[in-house]
Amino acid sequence: MIKKLFDWLKQPLGLIAVGIVFLAVFSAAAYGLWTTQQAPEQPVPGFPHKTHVAFGIQCLYCHPGASKGPAAGLPSQAKCWACHNQIVKTRDSALLAPLKDAVLSGQSLEWVPVAIVPDFVQFNHRAHIAAGKNCEDCHGDVSQMGIYENPQVMNMGWCLNCHIETAGDDQEKLIKLADCGTCHY
Amino acid sequence: MTEQFSRRDFLKLAGLGAATTAILTGCGPASRYVKREPYQQMPEYNSVGQSTYYATTCRECAAGCGLVVRTYQGRALKTEGNANHPLNLGKTCARGQATLHGLYNPDRVQAPSTGDWDSAIQTVADALKNYKPGEVAFLMGMAPDHLFDLVSDLANATGMNGPVRYGALGMFEARATLSKAAENLFGQAGLPWFDLGGAQVVFSFGANFLETWLSPLPYTRGFVGLREGETKLRGTFVQFEARMSATGAKADHWVPVRPGTEGLVALAIGKLASELRGGAMPRVFSSVNPAEVAESAGVELEALHHLAEMFVNFNVLAIPGGAALGQSNGLEIAEAVLALNALSDNFGKPGGVYLSALAPNQTETSRPASAEEMAAFVEKMKSGAIKALFVHGVNPVFELPAALGFKDALANVELFSFATFPDETAAEAKHVFPDHHGLESWGYQRVATGVSLPVLSGAQPVVSPFYDTRATADVLIAAAKLAGGKFAEALPFADEVEFIQSKVGALMSEASGSFSAADAATFMAYFQQYGGWFKNADALIAPDGSGVLNGNVKAAEPEFAGEGEFFFVPFVSPTLAEAGANKPWLQELPDPTTTVMWNTWVEINPETAHELGLQNDDMVRIVSEAGEVEAYVYLYPAIRPDTIAMPFGQGHTAYGRYAEKRGANPADLFGVHFNEAGDLAFGGMKVKVEKVRAAQSGVGLARLESRIGVYGEALGEEH
Repeated sequence: MIKKLFDWLKQPLGLIAVGIVFLAVFSAAAYGLWTTQQAPEQPVPGFPHKTHVAFGIQCLYCHPGASKGPAAGLPSQAKCWACHNQIVKTRDSALLAPLKDAVLSGQSLEWVPVAIVPDFVQFNHRAHIAAGKNCEDCHGDVSQMGIYENPQVMNMGWCLNCHIETAGDDQEKLIKLADCGTCHY
Repeated sequence: MTEQFSRRDFLKLAGLGAATTAILTGCGPASRYVKREPYQQMPEYNSVGQSTYYATTCRECAAGCGLVVRTYQGRALKTEGNANHPLNLGKTCARGQATLHGLYNPDRVQAPSTGDWDSAIQTVADALKNYKPGEVAFLMGMAPDHLFDLVSDLANATGMNGPVRYGALGMFEARATLSKAAENLFGQAGLPWFDLGGAQVVFSFGANFLETWLSPLPYTRGFVGLREGETKLRGTFVQFEARMSATGAKADHWVPVRPGTEGLVALAIGKLASELRGGAMPRVFSSVNPAEVAESAGVELEALHHLAEMFVNFNVLAIPGGAALGQSNGLEIAEAVLALNALSDNFGKPGGVYLSALAPNQTETSRPASAEEMAAFVEKMKSGAIKALFVHGVNPVFELPAALGFKDALANVELFSFATFPDETAAEAKHVFPDHHGLESWGYQRVATGVSLPVLSGAQPVVSPFYDTRATADVLIAAAKLAGGKFAEALPFADEVEFIQSKVGALMSEASGSFSAADAATFMAYFQQYGGWFKNADALIAPDGSGVLNGNVKAAEPEFAGEGEFFFVPFVSPTLAEAGANKPWLQELPDPTTTVMWNTWVEINPETAHELGLQNDDMVRIVSEAGEVEAYVYLYPAIRPDTIAMPFGQGHTAYGRYAEKRGANPADLFGVHFNEAGDLAFGGMKVKVEKVRAAQSGVGLARLESRIGVYGEALGEEH
C-alpha cells in the first residue's frame, strides 16, 4: 500500500500536492518563528522604560536586586504606586489602570521576563556589577526603549566572548572566567 | 518489516514526521511561557530572587521538632528540620514534610462562623461572662503549649475548669500507663526515655518507636546508634508483638506473642536469665513459671531460653509500649518490662532507662488525660456540669472512641471549635472560630521527651495568614478584655506575642542557655532566629531502680471483652496518624509494611484467611461488642493466625475532601474498658470477622503496585 502511495506521489499531480503541503508547512513554521520574535504582551501595555530613564531614575532604583544577588527583580507594586499615586496625570491615566487595579485589589501583575537564561545557567547579576559592568553593557540603551527588548541573543557564545575579552592576557583570569563550572554547576 | 512497507520507507516517514513536528512547534524561547509576579509590598529584609528561611516548630504532632521553612515571595515552599534544634538535629518525618499540605489545604476553615471577628469575640466574651466559671471547660490538644499556658493562667485566675488535654496519639502510646508504671517502680512519675543508641540489645514489647511512638525522630536516631554502635558492635533488636509493625520489621528476632502476655513473657525471660546467672532468684521474677508462660504466650520455651541467654553477655534494654500497654493488664505489662531492665542494672545509665528531662519553663511532669479521665469529662458534659466547651488542637469526635459517647454529650453544651480544618468536631460546633495554620502561628512547645537537654521550641509565622483566621490566644485575650473584671486582669496582654514574650522572657535570667541577651527584645529575636531556647546541661532524670528486683509485679492473664474469636490489634498508621488524612502527600505515601494507600485494610494471616475463605481485597465486617466497621482484607503473613489488625487514621466523616468517606475508623470498635492506669484497653477485646462480599475486578485496595481504588470506589460511592 505504501508503495502505491509513493508511486502516486511521483506523478505530476502528486508532486504538486507535495509542493502545496510543503508550502503550507513552511509558511506555518515561518509564522511560528515570526511570532516568537515579537515582544511579548505585558500587563501594562507599552510600558515606557525611556520615560522613566529620562526622569533620571537609576536602574537600581526599580531593580535593586541586581547589585545584591542573582535576580535584578521587579519593583514591588507598592513602589510603583508610591510615585504614580502622587502624579495626577498617572494616577488616573487609563494606561496605568492595570497597575491601579492590581494595587487596589491586592492582586499581582503578571510580567513576562524578556532577558532570561535557561535553568542550567547559574547567572548572577552581582558578580557582573562588582566587576564594573554597567547595565547597558548587556541590556542595551534602555533610555530609548518602551517595552524592554533584548539587544542581542543571550546565548553562550555571547557570554563567553565577553568573558574572554575581559580576561585579556591574564591566563589565571581566563581560566576562572572561561571554566564550565563558572556558570554551570 | 513487511514486504509492502520497507525499513527505508519507515525511516523516511519517521524522519518527515519528526521534522514537521519540530518546525510546527516552533523554536521560541522558554520565556514565552513564564510569568513573574512582583511583591505587593516587599519586606525590607527580603532580596529578590533569594529565599527567606524561618525557624519554627512543627505542629503535626506534639513532639516539638524544629523546622526551617523556605519561603519565597511570601509563600512557604519547603520544610526541613532545623539542624540546630537538639531534638531532631535537622531531620523531619513524613508528617513534618507534609505540613505544607495543611497550609495550602483547599478545605481550610476560611472565616469565623459569625461572619466577622468582632461578633465572634463578643460571643466568646458573653460565654465567659454568662456561664459560671465552673461551667466553662477547655479541651485542648497536646500542642501548642503556649495556648495551654494562657488558658491555664485564665482558669487559675477566674476559677474556670483547668484545661484538659487529650490526643489519640497519647492514647495509643498509653502515656498515663508509662507514667504510672514509673511511679510504681521508681517512686517518681514521669515519661520514661530509653537510650537506644547506647544499648547492646534492645527488647521492645510492642513499642513502635520508629513510627509514631512518643518522639519518633530521636528514637530513630537512637536506633541508628544501636545498629552502628559506638562500640563497633552491631546491636541486636528483638520485637515482641502479635502483629509485625514497621518497627518490628527491622528486628533481628520477631517474637509473635499472644496479645496481653507481654508482661508474663518479660518476667519469664527475667527468671530464666536469673537462673543462668546463678545466685538468689530476684523476688520480682520468682513467682512466674516459664513453661506455662511459653504455653500461654504461644512461643517456644526454647526461644525464651535463647533470649534469656542474651542477658548473660550483653546489656539489654527492655522497652514497654504501644499495643502491649493497651490491654486490661497494661500497667502490669509496663511494670514487668521495665523491671527486666534491673537485670542489666541500666537505670539512669547510658544505654538504659531515664525519665525525660523537664522543659525550661516546666516545674513538674505533665501528661495528657487518660481515656478514663476523658470518660469522666464526658460524664460532666452529660450531667450538665459543663455547659460551655472550648475545643482547640484536638478532634475528639474522631479521636475519642465512639463508645465514650462524646458526640452525644455535645448536645448538652455550647460548643466552640477553634479548628483550622472542618473536622468532625467543628461540624458539631455551634461556633467555629478558626485558628491559623501552624505555619502562620506564634507559639512555643515544651519538648516532653526525646532529648537530654531541657528544650523550649519556638514557633513563629513563616507566612502571613491566607484566610480570615485569627490566633485563638488573640481571640481569648480580646474576649477577656471585653468580659472585663477578673477576666481582663487574668490576661493583661495586648496580644498573643506579648503573652509569649512574657513567658519566654522569664528565661533570660537562666544561666547556661543556648543563647543569652541583655534585653527582652533581643532575647525574643534570638528565640525566633534559632527556633527556640535550650539549656546546655543534660537534665535527664536517673530513676531510682534499687527496689525493683525485690519488688512485686503482678502478672495476671489479660481479660478480653467481646465474643469474637480473634484478638484485635489496632495500630496507628505511621503516616496518617490522627490528623494526616487530609494531606494528599500522606495519603499517597504507601504504608511501610503493606504499601497500601488511600484506604483502610484488615490484616489477616493467610492461613486464617484460607480457613475463612477470604482473599485479598474481599470486603469484611469486623464486629466487636461496641460496634462494627467494614474494610478490605489484606493477607499479611507477619501476624498471628489468631489475631487481626487494623490501622487508625482513616474513616473520617468530615475533615475535607481528601479525608472524608475513605476507609474505616477502628476506634468505632473500641469498648469502654481501661487498664489500671486509666488508659484505654484498646487491645483488650475479641472480634468477629464476617465476609461481606468477594473481591471485585477493578475495586479494592490501592497499593504502590496498583492504583486501583484510588479514584474509583474509595472516593465515596460505596462507603
